[in-house]
Amino acid sequence: MIARVLRSIRGWSVNVAIALTALRTNLLRSILTTLGVMIGVFAVILAVAVGDGAKVSVLESINSLGSNMAIVFPIPENDGGRRTNERGRLTERDARAIQRLVPGVRGIAPQLRATIQIVVSGRNASTSAIGATPEYAGVANIAAERGRFISEADVRSGARVVVLGPSVASKLFGDFDPIGEDVRINRVPFTIIGILESKGSSFGQDNDDIAVLPLTTVRQRLATNAQLGPDDLQALFVGFEDGVSLAQAKRQMVRVLKDRNRVQKGEINPFSIRTTEEFMEESGQVTGIFQAVLVAIASISLLVGGIGIMNIMLVSVTERTREIGLRMALGARRRDIRNQFLVEAAVLCMIGGLMGLLLAIAVARAFAAYADFPVPIGTGTSIGAVLFSALIGLAFGGYPAVRASRLSPIEALRSE
Amino acid sequence: MAIPLLDARHLVKDFVIGGEVVHAVNDVSLTIDRGEFVAIMGASGSGKSTFMNMIGCLDTPTAGRLLLDGVDVATLSGDALAEIRNRKIGFVFQQFNLLARTSALDNVAVPLIYAGMGAEERRARAKARLEMLGLGARLMNTPAKLSGGQQQRVAIARALVTDPLVLLADEPTGALDSRTSGEIMDILSGLNREGITIILVTHEADIAACAQRQILFSDGKIVDDRRGAAKTAPGAAA
Repeated sequence: MIARVLRSIRGWSVNVAIALTALRTNLLRSILTTLGVMIGVFAVILAVAVGDGAKVSVLESINSLGSNMAIVFPIPENDGGRRTNERGRLTERDARAIQRLVPGVRGIAPQLRATIQIVVSGRNASTSAIGATPEYAGVANIAAERGRFISEADVRSGARVVVLGPSVASKLFGDFDPIGEDVRINRVPFTIIGILESKGSSFGQDNDDIAVLPLTTVRQRLATNAQLGPDDLQALFVGFEDGVSLAQAKRQMVRVLKDRNRVQKGEINPFSIRTTEEFMEESGQVTGIFQAVLVAIASISLLVGGIGIMNIMLVSVTERTREIGLRMALGARRRDIRNQFLVEAAVLCMIGGLMGLLLAIAVARAFAAYADFPVPIGTGTSIGAVLFSALIGLAFGGYPAVRASRLSPIEALRSE
Repeated sequence: MAIPLLDARHLVKDFVIGGEVVHAVNDVSLTIDRGEFVAIMGASGSGKSTFMNMIGCLDTPTAGRLLLDGVDVATLSGDALAEIRNRKIGFVFQQFNLLARTSALDNVAVPLIYAGMGAEERRARAKARLEMLGLGARLMNTPAKLSGGQQQRVAIARALVTDPLVLLADEPTGALDSRTSGEIMDILSGLNREGITIILVTHEADIAACAQRQILFSDGKIVDDRRGAAKTAPGAAA
């Protein structure tokens, strides 16, 4: 048993030695063939890595929303393709009912939104305003980096104060510290009380291009939608304690809202609730598809590389027909011949795979350094890529190898 | 009485060429004993090469029995035939058939690879055979750096490296000048004197005359089988 294993290991190491010799004798041809596999493996690894990078950055931006959170909108969910214009009315009383009746709520943050024009000494910036309460900071996981966030008193009095996102601030003031400065928002004078921490961007959208104002101020002075009642909200952020099941909390919120708004069975629920869990799932699906498409495209180049291997192996078998015949006469079994060519193809592909991997790592480093886009290449991807390229060699080298092993020794010996 | 090395009984090999059956070897019976030096002669198409291919286990008979060392090779699998070629038969070819860009030492060691021998033992044995054939100074030479006669000596060393029962030499001097041919025939005669069985295919009468027994093939049949004292190789005495 041990002797057999030893013999088989020895057999394979001999095959590797024969393969390396054969590859060395046609060095330029080997390098050119390897190049095809190298480019293919490089493309596939990079595609996987770019997909992984997209996943990571999307997850990061979702986490930056606040990890365990739901958002309620007074808009019906797109229910099986049926669309409706019937909007619900989400009020501050609904918000308080959710806080009171749904277990595990850490905080609620009612919200109004408006598009505003901020003007200061000739410069102006258009941005989206979020009318919020102090709880918004805790629920949505944001804070003022400088100055302060809006306070309870601001909300009570409808104070004309604004907290700017870093993008808006730099657009209006450059490097100058704007805290305490007066600006005009839709022609009404406001005072800047703080600058938000940067939240980066997600899906190409700048998360720092916002302004946060007291809920009451937006309602009284900036809301443009005439249909809004004095108690109405456009969105409600609900933060939950860690460990609370968002799916269950969502069902409970739906029940509370339906009860309060007397939504009958069979009627369309005029509210939609999105949880961070759902965001993650959906974005996972989206980035998954994105990655799959990238990998599929990259795989085409790997396929072309594989066909190159097959082509060159067929040439090699034809050129070495006499050698094959000789080896058979000297005692090589058909499987020895087959393995010799299989190993040759696999070695060729593995070298290509290894070079493709190194190239991909170099490019990923460059990406991370200069483009500020994470392209993570994991150990699993690396090992997988090299093994997979060996597999490509076995797959595309298989036919030429079997063809070599089926040659008749007499005819092979007779060939020129 | 000892088992003959080779015992062919009513051996037939047919080929189908263009829809017609050609009897390349037609009912040949023959025994060859250990230690013989046999020359097989015949014109091109006489069936001698087909007969040699069967003896060399490169081809299997259509009918009849072919006992090699008492084993009927007609019934063996491809792998078993490969093992017989490896262990019991040493081939010497007209065109030497050495691996290009490969040293004499590695060329001679090739059969030992398929015998499953370790690298060190392979090298030691190959070296010993090459030294025996006077090539101890040329172990690392590739075929391109060897003369025709030296290349054929490397090939003979390769044929002998597994200590086979029989050396099958197919026109071993066909690619050599007469002087070098004589050297090679001297080597073969010397090996035969040491007890190695040699079967030689040739169409040259003076080469065949080096053997103790001459068998003549014609139209797939043996038409002459004579024994006589081996002459000295042509050109060797000069």
